[in-house]
Amino acid sequence: MKRENFRVLTCIIIINITIVSLFLLANGYCATEEINSKYGESPVIDGYMDLSAKEWNKAAFNDEISLEGIPIDLWVMHDDTNLYISIQFDLLLGHHKINEFIGLIISNSSSEDKEEFIDAKIIQFTNISANEYNYFDYNVSGSVFLIDTEKNGDGAAKLEELTSTYEFALPIKGHDANEDDAALDYGNGYAFNITYGETPAYPGGIKKSSIVLINIKALAGPIPSIINVVFSVLSIIVFSVLGIVLGFYIYRIFKLKENIEKYRR
Amino acid sequence: MSKIPKQPEKKQKTKEKYRSDENFAFRSIIISAILGCISFIVSLLFNAEIITVFMNIDLLWTFIDISIKVIAVLLFFLFIITSYANYKELIGKRLNWKELLLLIFFSIGQTLLNPSVFILTLIGIFIILIYLFLIQE
Repeated sequence: MKRENFRVLTCIIIINITIVSLFLLANGYCATEEINSKYGESPVIDGYMDLSAKEWNKAAFNDEISLEGIPIDLWVMHDDTNLYISIQFDLLLGHHKINEFIGLIISNSSSEDKEEFIDAKIIQFTNISANEYNYFDYNVSGSVFLIDTEKNGDGAAKLEELTSTYEFALPIKGHDANEDDAALDYGNGYAFNITYGETPAYPGGIKKSSIVLINIKALAGPIPSIINVVFSVLSIIVFSVLGIVLGFYIYRIFKLKENIEKYRR
Repeated sequence: MSKIPKQPEKKQKTKEKYRSDENFAFRSIIISAILGCISFIVSLLFNAEIITVFMNIDLLWTFIDISIKVIAVLLFFLFIITSYANYKELIGKRLNWKELLLLIFFSIGQTLLNPSVFILTLIGIFIILIYLFLIQE
């Protein structure tokens, strides 16, 4: 009897934990890498990483991300207006599909809950051998992709031999971003779902994906010049000394009054 | 008949006049010093950029901001020089050129953060000095 009771109790506990877990655990993804964006000059968004112009030299680089079997190289940087992301990968000869695409499904925060991924930027090849592509801006609602009324950001792609390069420029607008876009802002981290597909259908055409967490560093304020610092320090000294001197002068005036009265008496 | 000799009336009047001049000079020192201190506080608030509400709005507000800064420093200079010169006179000395230079330095020193204010104040102090020189007996 005692053993039976124990079994029933164990079953109840397991069922309870399972039910509670279903409510507690959010339906989400899992980020594989965390990248801190670096400040740099804006690159030309043309799908070509110009090494001679050192376009992406200041970007944060990561080559440890894999899109479910496809290793990718990722560059991330930002300037005063945009976040720039470049993705590059190699496929064997003939494995690049004519309608290949790379998409960034962007979370509105660092959260990886499915509901938080509300924005998608996609570079879709229409004919990869002729390097013809389109850049799309979608609003994501659950598993429905709705084209944005206002296209934000920019994207370009190019296939050179075995390597395809995708370059994105995403505006960092903070609270000024419209409702269709993720409100990217400085000093915050955002989850990016990097997706790969071979047919122009979203999200049905997505074949592989991987989530990375990108932290957009806060912009540093302008560095004050040495002359300004010197003048500020001098100004503080002048006002401080003058305050002390004036205080002493007022004291001397009252002392003089006392002396005069003493002299009169 | 009193043994203490009476002071002549003329001497008594001179003494009273001297005392009255002394009171007037002392009142001038105090009032000028207080006004100088008020100007100093206004100058500190605007020239040390503690109050920056008028800065970088438009041309009119920039003009108002510069005017407040320049006028505050010039009034400070005028009141303090009046007060200090009277103070020196009361203790039987004269304001020397070293003290005058120090006062000019302290006045100009308040305007270091803004080149326009600096130049305008320099011109203003120069005009005040010429005026004070001309009205000397």
